[in-house]
Amino acid sequence: MNKAIIRLKNSLNRGTQSLFRCDFHTSDAINQHLEEKVILTKDRYPNMKRGKFAELQGSHIQHFINLLGPTRVLTDPNDVEPYNIDWIKVVRGYSGIVLKPKTTQEVSEILKFCNSERLAVCTQGGNTGLVGGSVPVFDEVILSMSLMNKVIDINPLSGTLICEAGCVLENLDSALEEHNLMMPLDLGAKGSCHIGGNISTNAGGLRLIRYGSLHGSVLGVEAVLANGDVMDVLNVLKKDNTGYHLRHLFIGSEGTLGVVTKASIHCPPRPKALNLAFLGTDSFKNVLNILQLAKSCLSEILSSCEMIDDPSISAVIRNLGVNSPIGQFPFYVLIETSGSHTAHDEEKLNAFLEKAMAESYVLDGTVTNEPSRMQVLWQLRERIAEALLKDGPVYKYDVSLPVEHFYGIVPLLQEKLRGTSAEIVTGYGHIGDGNVHLNITSKFYDQDLVHDVIEPFVFKWVADHNGSISAEHGIGFKKTEFLHYSKKPGAIALMKQMKTLMDPNGILNPYKVLPED
Amino acid sequence: MEDYKFLFKVVLVGNAGVGKTCLVRRFTQGIFPPGQGATIGVDFMIKTVEIDNEKIKLQIWDTAGQERFRSITQSYYRSAHALILVYDISCQPTFDCLPDWLREIEEYASQNVLRILVGNKVDREDREIPAQVGEDFAQRHSMYYLETSAKEAHNVENLFLQIAAELMEQMRFKELPRYEQEQAHSINGRTTAIGDSCCSRLS
Repeated sequence: MNKAIIRLKNSLNRGTQSLFRCDFHTSDAINQHLEEKVILTKDRYPNMKRGKFAELQGSHIQHFINLLGPTRVLTDPNDVEPYNIDWIKVVRGYSGIVLKPKTTQEVSEILKFCNSERLAVCTQGGNTGLVGGSVPVFDEVILSMSLMNKVIDINPLSGTLICEAGCVLENLDSALEEHNLMMPLDLGAKGSCHIGGNISTNAGGLRLIRYGSLHGSVLGVEAVLANGDVMDVLNVLKKDNTGYHLRHLFIGSEGTLGVVTKASIHCPPRPKALNLAFLGTDSFKNVLNILQLAKSCLSEILSSCEMIDDPSISAVIRNLGVNSPIGQFPFYVLIETSGSHTAHDEEKLNAFLEKAMAESYVLDGTVTNEPSRMQVLWQLRERIAEALLKDGPVYKYDVSLPVEHFYGIVPLLQEKLRGTSAEIVTGYGHIGDGNVHLNITSKFYDQDLVHDVIEPFVFKWVADHNGSISAEHGIGFKKTEFLHYSKKPGAIALMKQMKTLMDPNGILNPYKVLPED
Repeated sequence: MEDYKFLFKVVLVGNAGVGKTCLVRRFTQGIFPPGQGATIGVDFMIKTVEIDNEKIKLQIWDTAGQERFRSITQSYYRSAHALILVYDISCQPTFDCLPDWLREIEEYASQNVLRILVGNKVDREDREIPAQVGEDFAQRHSMYYLETSAKEAHNVENLFLQIAAELMEQMRFKELPRYEQEQAHSINGRTTAIGDSCCSRLS
């Protein structure tokens, strides 16, 4: 195995293991096809044209070395290669440089210089994105935020955290634990993803049903604009109605309007009582019944509601050796409750389960508050992406749909893809907020199938059912040409105007989010 | 909603390793799960049976036997219609712990819950608790008594069907004057007094 691959493995293993989560980056499943060279994005998408940006020169490199020192400027191809490839190995740039700033001032100097020299920049956090947003498309300068990883302040009284953008989500959660607080978001990649990336993509995750999106949890940000200006709206107030709420420009804009360098986040109290139920049911209709019943019976203690279909669970069992604690069913639901009073929560959960069984919504299940058991149960949901990747390339679609249409596309796709290179079509995800993760495994990466069959069908079907083509993964590079399915022309035009206003030279994460003219 | 006349909640308790999960899986799925791991928390499933042409739905709750995994189980006693207390006839300590389980039942379960003592693993040849000892214990504590083998499917279906029948019978008695309820009922010919039931009719 060559040095670049070993380094890539190491970079993918940056995060620490969580008690309740299995960080998918620690598995060989992610790395199993690494020996096969990932095709360059410019070759995979030959119609993509490089923008009118400067090419990296020796003088540019020298400037960066003068600014950051030689150890924080990577130019050795073996060192740079891991930063050029996304974790599902579908997109690959050919950048020749990675910059690792430690301060906002350094980020400011870098962007100021890149803007004046017309050097395109791709900002990268933990590189756990699924839409190609965090790696270069061509030869953009990679701005890695991994060294901006300091926790600046935790205020237990107000429940606020101020930190730098390169902090790993799980590390923040661990730091907050000492103060009986928790991060308001939780996702499978928590051991690797950065809070800056979470904010830039408006990551949703497993707790959105309880704690809402980052547009609510992020109280303020510090961001550097394309010209190097530092925009400090690092508010810690929960109420501040003084003009435009500028922080929202940087939440979900995927690094195209500015580089988030710091954030202040509202962190809820860490629950004292946690319960997790894993339920088996015989139809999607009953999944909806379970959801409705959970919302009415569990209301304020409901912190997560996840649906998994049988092909997803089967992949986890088959490929990762994790056992299901209950019998085989077409659908499964994971329900987590979290609160401050154990007896109260168990009482509510008991009433919910009795009712769900009385109505035959639930046919089999298990419930626990034991941490080790909860970890095992969560793996059945959290490790699906990893398990499917063991079967070969995976086409992933993250869509939002009205909850009654949550699973409707899966059987249609199964039928449509019969006899093609596609193998398994699965649907799972955050049923509580209508966010389905559609995954299609394949024998090999089939560009024609993806481009001509799957994507037009998926995105049109989603649009026809009043859904969104991206629920939480963002648009990135892979979904730009489909943005019109979810945004009207006037909205896209305004987005382009904002981009032009804030980044007139278009150096920040080009080719991402907005469709090419 | 599925059509049924009665819905009963049945909870299994007893030491770890006595075969509670195997009894449940044998009854609900017709299998004897090999290498069954310890239950952590509470497992539950439903099974509909037919007694006298009436559909009865049993909600079966299988609890953790190990002390450290039992914190969650106590809230599940309260609304139980029947409690099956299981021990292993080839393991004396599981029988010796029965008084502790009864204390827990007294504390958390409804006063008039139907209680059944089950000696499991009668397929084993290394019996440590004679049937008579189990039966005497059951009689002293106003419980039904039955011996089973989940492995060989001996008396397992009978256990749950008898519970369903007994609970259904109690439902019918509810419509009669109170004094008529004080009579004996039996499983396998063994008798014990049954008081008023806590069951509610669902139709």
